[in-house]
Amino acid sequence: MSTLLTYISVNNGKIKRSSLEVLSRCNELAQQHNLISAAIIIDKNASEIAEKLKAYGPSVIYIIENPVFNNHLNTPLLKALSLAIEKIKPKIVAFASTESTKDILGALAANRGAASLADVSEFELSGTGVKAKRPVMASKIISSVEANDSLVLLTVRSGSYDVSTQQADSNIEEIPFSFNDDELKITLKEIISASGDKIDLSEAETVIAAGRGVKDEEGRKLVEELASVLKAGIGASRALTEAGVYDPSLQIGQTGKVVSPQLYIGIGISGAIQHVSGMANSKVIVAINKDPDAPIFDIADYGIVGDLYKVLPPFIEELKKVKSEK
Amino acid sequence: MKFYVCIKQVPDVNAPLHIKDGELIQDADRNILNAYDASAIEAALVLREKHGGEIEVVLIGTDKAKETIRKALAMGADSGIFIQADTDVQFDSFSYAKILSTFFADKEYNFILCGKQSQDTDAGLTGSMLAGLLDLPYVTNAVGLEMTGNSLIVKRQGDAGQELIELPSPGLVTCSNDMNDPRIPNLKGIMQSKRKPVETIPVNDLPTDSTAIKTKILGYEVKPAREAGKKFDGEPDEIARQVARLLDEAENVV
Ligand SMILES: Cc1cc2nc3c(=O)[nH]c(=O)nc-3n(C[C@H](O)[C@H](O)[C@H](O)COP(=O)(O)OP(=O)(O)OC[C@H]3O[C@@H](n4cnc5c(N)ncnc54)[C@H](O)[C@@H]3O)c2cc1C
Ligand SMILES: Nc1ncnc2c1ncn2[C@@H]1O[C@H](COP(=O)(O)O)[C@@H](O)[C@H]1O
Repeated sequence: MSTLLTYISVNNGKIKRSSLEVLSRCNELAQQHNLISAAIIIDKNASEIAEKLKAYGPSVIYIIENPVFNNHLNTPLLKALSLAIEKIKPKIVAFASTESTKDILGALAANRGAASLADVSEFELSGTGVKAKRPVMASKIISSVEANDSLVLLTVRSGSYDVSTQQADSNIEEIPFSFNDDELKITLKEIISASGDKIDLSEAETVIAAGRGVKDEEGRKLVEELASVLKAGIGASRALTEAGVYDPSLQIGQTGKVVSPQLYIGIGISGAIQHVSGMANSKVIVAINKDPDAPIFDIADYGIVGDLYKVLPPFIEELKKVKSEK
Repeated sequence: MKFYVCIKQVPDVNAPLHIKDGELIQDADRNILNAYDASAIEAALVLREKHGGEIEVVLIGTDKAKETIRKALAMGADSGIFIQADTDVQFDSFSYAKILSTFFADKEYNFILCGKQSQDTDAGLTGSMLAGLLDLPYVTNAVGLEMTGNSLIVKRQGDAGQELIELPSPGLVTCSNDMNDPRIPNLKGIMQSKRKPVETIPVNDLPTDSTAIKTKILGYEVKPAREAGKKFDGEPDEIARQVARLLDEAENVV
C-alpha cells in the first residue's frame, strides 16, 4: 500500500495549524483510496512533538531528530527529506505552504526528479498522480492542474482545509540521520527576530491589517489598541512594510502571507489585487477607508467610509463594551 | 564578478482578463518584466556599482518576449541571452529550470539571481529547482544582498524573522520585490540598450528532453468574486458603533 506523507511544520516546539490542515486532508484521501496516511517531523525535538501529533490520526509518524534543525536551513532539510523519501517511497509528500517549505520544494523536486505543485488550494488523487487547483493572476483566476508522476510534492495554502482530530495509535519510527557541518554549504550568520511574531498571522482568528492610511504613531497606537481588544494578529500592506513601519514578516498578500481569519479588518488599505490575493478568503471582511471608491469596498462585508482617526476610537470603545458584556 | 539574472516576461495581472473555452485570454496583450526579476536586476546593478562586474540576463520565451530583454538592458544589464521557444509549447517551472540548467552547464559565473516567483503563476519553483539541478548552494526569498569577498550575505525573509545567510560563490539567490525599488530606464539607458549584445539560442539547440514537463494545466476558471456587503457612510461615531455591534450580533466574530 502506498503512503501519503505529510510534512509537519513546527515553530518553537508548536505544530503549525496549517500542516494539521494538510494532514487532515491526507487522512481523508488515504481513507477514500485505501492508502496509508503518514506524517514526518523533522525537528530537534521531533519525538516530543510526535506524541502530540497522535491526536490527529496518522497511521505512522516518522521522526528525524537532530540539533541542526533548531533553525531553518535548506541543506540539512533537503538531505533529511531525501532520505525519508528513499525509505518511505511515498506517492505524495504534502507540505503546508510556508517560507521554509517554499524554500525547499523546487530543489527537492529537482533532486528527486519529482513533479511539484506549489501553493494549491485544493487537491485530490487522480488515477496516476494528483489533480489540484491553484490561484493564479494575483488570485483572480483559479487554474486546474495535474501532475502525473510516481512522486508528487505539493504545498497547500493555509486555510484550505479544516483540521479534524482523530486519536490514533500511531507507530513512531525514527529515521537515522547524521549531518556534518561541512555539508552545510551555506552559513546562517544571524536571525533577526521579528517584533511581530507573537501571533502567527496565518493562523490568527482575527487579523487587523494596517495600510498607508495609518500615517503616524497615533494611528499605530489605535491599530494596536484594536488588536489587543480583539486579541488579533497585526498585519500590514506593502506600503507600510516597505516604509519600514511594520516588520516585513507581517506583510499580507502576494509577496507576503496568506491569511484566512474569521475576521479581517483593513484600516487605511486601498485593496490592490496583490494585497487582496492574500486575504480574500477571510470569513468576514471589514474595511475602514475615507475614500468611498476604494476597491477594498468591493469585497468588504462591512465598509466603513470615514477617517480612521475618527472612526477607530468609538469603534474600539464599543468593542470593549461588547466584550465586557460577555 | 559575473552575475546572471534569469528573467521572465509575464502578462500584467492588472490588465482585464477573461476565460474562453477554458483558455485564459487577456483583453489587452499587456506583457511586462516580472516584478520580482526587476528587483533581481536592480540588486545586481547595485552590487556592480559597488564592486564592479558584469551582468548578463537570460530569458526563455517566444519572440514577443525579446522586448523584455531590452528593458533589462535599458535598466543597465550588460548583455542578454534569448532562448527562443516555439509558441505552442506549454512549459512549467520544471521545464524552464531544465532548459536553464542545460544553458548554465558549461558557463562560469559567481551568482545566478532569479525572481522568487512569477507574478502570474506564483509558482516560486524555478529558482530552487535550477539550484538543485546545478547542485548550487542557494537562498530563496532574499530581501537584501551585500557582498563580502567572494560571498554574498543574503538577508532572507523567513516565516517569522529574517535570516542572515552567507552564500559562497558560485551560488543562486531568488529575490523578493521587498528588496528594493527597481529603477525605471532613462532615455540614455534606452538608447544604449539598442547597442548591447543579445545572443539568440533556439531552445531546440539545447539538449532538452520532453519528459521535463511535469505538470499540465487542465483549465481555468474565474474565481467567484466576493459580493460587496453594506457600506456605512455618515457620522463616524455612529457608524463605528453600529458596525461593532453587528460584528458581535450578526456575525459572532468578536
Ligand atoms: C508583484 C507585486 C507584489 C505585491 N505584493 C503585495 C503584498 O504582498 N501585499 C501588499 O499589501 N501589497 C503588495 N503589492 C503592492 C500593492 O500593489 C499596493 O501597492 C499596496 O497593497 C498598497 O498598500 P496600501 O493599500 O496600504 O496603500 P495605498 O494604495 O496608498 O492606499 C492607502 C489607502 O488609505 C486610505 N486612507 C488614507 N488616509 C486615510 C485615513 N485617514 N482614514 C482612512 N483611510 C485613509 C486611502 O483612501 C487609500 O485607499 C505588490 C505589488 C506588486 C507589483
Ligand atoms: N521563461 C523564463 N526565462 C528565464 N527565467 C525564468 C523563466 N521562467 C521562470 N524564470 C525564473 O524563475 C523565476 C520564477 O519561477 P516560477 O515562479 O517557478 O515561475 C523567475 O523570477 C525567473 O527568475
